[in-house]
Amino acid sequence: MSTATVGDLVSQPYKHGFVTDIETEKIAKGLSEDVVRLISSKKSEPEFLLAFRLRAYRQWLQMQSPDWAALGYPQIDYQNIIYYAAPKQQEKKASLDEVDPKLLETFEKLGIPLSEQKRLSNVAVDAVFDSVSIATTYREKLAEHGVIFCSISEAVKEYPALVEKYLGTVIPSNDNYFAALNSAVFSDGSFVFIPKGVTCPMELSTYFRINSADTGQFERTLIIAEDGASVSYLEGCTAPMFDTNQLHAAVVELVVLEDASIKYSTVQNWYAGDENGVGGIYNFVTKRGQCRGDRSHISWTQVETGSAITWKYPSCVLQGADSVGEFYSVALTNNYQQADTGTKMIHVGPRTRSTIVSKGISAGHSSNSYRGLVQIGPKAVGAKNYSQCDSMLIGDQAAANTYPYIRSQQPDSSVEHEASTCRISAEQLFYLQSRGIGFEEAVSMMVSGFCRDVFNQLPMEFAAEADKLLALKLEGSVG
Amino acid sequence: MIRPDAPVLLEITGLHARVEEQQILNGVNLIVRSGEIHAVMGRNGSGKSTLSKVLAGHPAYTITEGSITYLGSDLLELAPEQRSRLGLFLGFQYPVEIPGVSNLEFLRVSTNARRAQRGEEELDTFAFEDLVRERLKVVQMDPAFLNRSVNEGFSGGEKKRNEILQMALLEPLVAILDETDSGLDIDALRIVADGVNQLAGPDNATLLITHYQRLLDLITPDYVHVMAAGRILRTGGKELALELERTGYEWVDQELANLGREPAEVL
Amino acid sequence: MPAVVMPNTADWLSQLAGVPMPARGQEDWRFTELAALQGLAPELWSGVDPFAQINLPAGISRIGADEAQGLQQQGLNSTGGGNVWSVRLNQGASPRCLALRVAGEAGPLQLHFDAGAAPGLLALQLVLVLEEGASLELLIQHGSSGPNATSFVVVAQLARGAKCNLGLLAPGDARASLLSHLSISQAPASSLQVTTAVGGWALSRLEPCIIQLEGAAQTRLRALQLVDGKELADTHSQVSFEGPDGQLDQLHKVVADGAGRSVFNGAVRVPRRAQQTNAAQLSRTLLLSERARVDTKPELEIVADDVKCAHGATISRLQQNELFYLQSRGIGAEQASRLLLRGYCEEVLRELPAAAAALNPLELLLRERL
Repeated sequence: MSTATVGDLVSQPYKHGFVTDIETEKIAKGLSEDVVRLISSKKSEPEFLLAFRLRAYRQWLQMQSPDWAALGYPQIDYQNIIYYAAPKQQEKKASLDEVDPKLLETFEKLGIPLSEQKRLSNVAVDAVFDSVSIATTYREKLAEHGVIFCSISEAVKEYPALVEKYLGTVIPSNDNYFAALNSAVFSDGSFVFIPKGVTCPMELSTYFRINSADTGQFERTLIIAEDGASVSYLEGCTAPMFDTNQLHAAVVELVVLEDASIKYSTVQNWYAGDENGVGGIYNFVTKRGQCRGDRSHISWTQVETGSAITWKYPSCVLQGADSVGEFYSVALTNNYQQADTGTKMIHVGPRTRSTIVSKGISAGHSSNSYRGLVQIGPKAVGAKNYSQCDSMLIGDQAAANTYPYIRSQQPDSSVEHEASTCRISAEQLFYLQSRGIGFEEAVSMMVSGFCRDVFNQLPMEFAAEADKLLALKLEGSVG
Repeated sequence: MIRPDAPVLLEITGLHARVEEQQILNGVNLIVRSGEIHAVMGRNGSGKSTLSKVLAGHPAYTITEGSITYLGSDLLELAPEQRSRLGLFLGFQYPVEIPGVSNLEFLRVSTNARRAQRGEEELDTFAFEDLVRERLKVVQMDPAFLNRSVNEGFSGGEKKRNEILQMALLEPLVAILDETDSGLDIDALRIVADGVNQLAGPDNATLLITHYQRLLDLITPDYVHVMAAGRILRTGGKELALELERTGYEWVDQELANLGREPAEVL
Repeated sequence: MPAVVMPNTADWLSQLAGVPMPARGQEDWRFTELAALQGLAPELWSGVDPFAQINLPAGISRIGADEAQGLQQQGLNSTGGGNVWSVRLNQGASPRCLALRVAGEAGPLQLHFDAGAAPGLLALQLVLVLEEGASLELLIQHGSSGPNATSFVVVAQLARGAKCNLGLLAPGDARASLLSHLSISQAPASSLQVTTAVGGWALSRLEPCIIQLEGAAQTRLRALQLVDGKELADTHSQVSFEGPDGQLDQLHKVVADGAGRSVFNGAVRVPRRAQQTNAAQLSRTLLLSERARVDTKPELEIVADDVKCAHGATISRLQQNELFYLQSRGIGAEQASRLLLRGYCEEVLRELPAAAAALNPLELLLRERL
């Protein structure tokens, strides 16, 4: 008979922990104004961007690293991080055939085929390796519809006016400590522009891979949906296993105009550290979208399974009348992982609506917190929010915390919050087992049942992936 | 239906078991052949439910002595899910609620696990829906229950029907129904009993665990066993149940006293 | 809005507390503007000692000053209340102290502290010890009609099997402040109900801080806080379970009107040793004005897997369908609103100790609005 406990099940080896042996161009460790200038000049950036970076750097120098989330980690030595690393290939290649086969192989191993014949049909992929984008598929096909999908470095060169118009307008460079750091040193990331009235004909996806041990990753993503446009975008992330911690401080800005919509999904599987909490990524990310136009719509969906520490609150500023914000999240923590994640729904305009569904699963000695803010401003007449935060605890060493701030200044509005805590009980497991369902499958059924409301929100191509990822995390040494 | 030459499906010999520090079973002996319907009766605490949990492999119970042979192999070696796949079925007295897990999905995974064991092909969602809709008739259950979470928010009667539906899908060789009659009104009881009768056949066997005669008015047992103090005290035909109905369990205390045990120890 | 601050009040208060006044950067005070307090004249309240004439019913006796001091320290240590600013201020402001021991079934007790029109800071301490199996019904009334502040610290210990029904009815004055801290420790099998009803103060801050020392106790919290005008009402509650099988049932209700501000922070802590805890918290807010503001923050911290913890929060105006129902029965909109508001408040007020009924708490708190 199986004597495995649910706790055993959530421990399974990380499958993306390999390192690609490739020659990399790195600059020296450390951060200074010169480093910021060097990054900008390496990327041959226009003046406005250098100014943006320098302003952010100076702001960052004045700021303190935040401590309110009560996350436990040693002080980060920002002078011991490399701020720019790129695989050595001169230019971004016009054709994938010229891309270093080692890179293609890396992404293939990660399940992201980039070569023409193996591509995921109907999904365009931008692959980012350490600090730079190495390939973007389906660019031409997208261009036929007027959709721009490229790395942000290319966008800076090819569409500087668009970048200058929108960059830093949703998340100002002094928004918070890590956003300021990112604004000063961001390396690459994705840029998406969907023009008026266009429904993006395929899923867009960016895949982030950290490879170097001592490199910070600071990508920057900017997505703009003009009036009546819509797009669904997905990002995935993995990193090798190192016993040191790597810093990942990304910024994602979404701009949504009248009647437009952006659906932004994340499957985050950065290396989480080993079972003793050694190594893993510090994932300090700022994500925010502005529903600027009336009837605009932003939907964040995230499946967070990796990273030693996650600190992330994808948010919506609902300015346009009747605009809609959504946040669907699954966060799984195990061993010594710490996740502090949630969302902010800022209701500014009238009749704005928001929905929050957060599912936290904590196992091992991990700590999993939902922290959210729902704010109904004085002009948000008729605004509505509904939040649901559920925690599942596996084992009696894991922590589940819920901190839902609510602030309202508008009587004609309604805010509803519900939270519950559950566990996988021995009786439930036995019931499923006594119907012929194996222990692992029983646990996985219950976990994915717990998460179903969130998985239903993922693009179809990835819903199965997410289910599999959780199952993988839950799979392990039974018997 | 009693056939002395029918194959033995289940044989329990000298079974002792405990939960935590408490000894509950004290030497149960029982042979079940195909085609037979057994009723196990007894008061609360006599060990009836423990026997059913032990047969299904509940991890909280420890076997301290004795053996259980199922289809010729050692049942105690098998994990609960293997027992189910091999056709041993426990209808729970209190089926647990499992929020989030769809009843339909649960039934399909469970049925396919049993089918795989029998070398049959897995049913896809469409084929399974056809099957399940047909089997729903056995328990006259509303298809709407398929789209809810497993047992979540089901009434007592609905839970029991869901149990019998699972039995209809899994086509067990030995079905143990633990107090399936408890908490059912007379109509629900009739539906459940009809279901059990439809599913009972010459190649399988049923073990009814019950307090009351009323279930046995609807399902006629071949054998009635009276349990007390963790063992089978007396075995007879269906008339034994009627006798119990008339005389109650008083004689059990007497009999235990004769065996030199205090009734207090029994409870 | 820079209030008229007497230059030395903040310094004076800081000196009394031995630490600076709380700043907005401190999480526990993030939404709580202390301007009202700073408008206070920097002097101690000099009225008649409100503890001077109290008739104790049978079963309740006084505790000597030294023992009371020790009990208070012990109680504050167990809840962590000793470091709270409101408590430090109280201790520094030459508090008048009443210390009571309750044995067996004591008769109901009623205490009335009215700061009246006199200016300054009135500091009061109440130490309560409920012996094993003792039971007490205590109604505390606060009041004011002038530019003063009442600082009130209750430290209570409930021994095994003790039952305490504590009510705090505090209709205030737009010039006055109320700072009330309650540190209550519960032994197993004890049962505690705290019902608070507060309204009309320039600033009120309630800090019920309850610890179930070994779990296995029952805690029931009921609160109603009303703000109107420029009032600020704040409740920071905290319930900690230090053992298994504890129960909490908490309902916090708010009515926010005018340019009032309401703050509710409700912490529930369930560490690993508190398996089988069953805790439910519900926060409901009626927001009646476009100038009012409500900040609500439940805090659930759980490190035990076999627990039931649920919390919920709603903020809305009066239910339109309920209003419509009453109107469709011929009741005018205004009257219907008043009826619904009454009902909303009564749900909490009717749980005050029985003695409250005679005081008509709804009239005291809602006054002209009804």
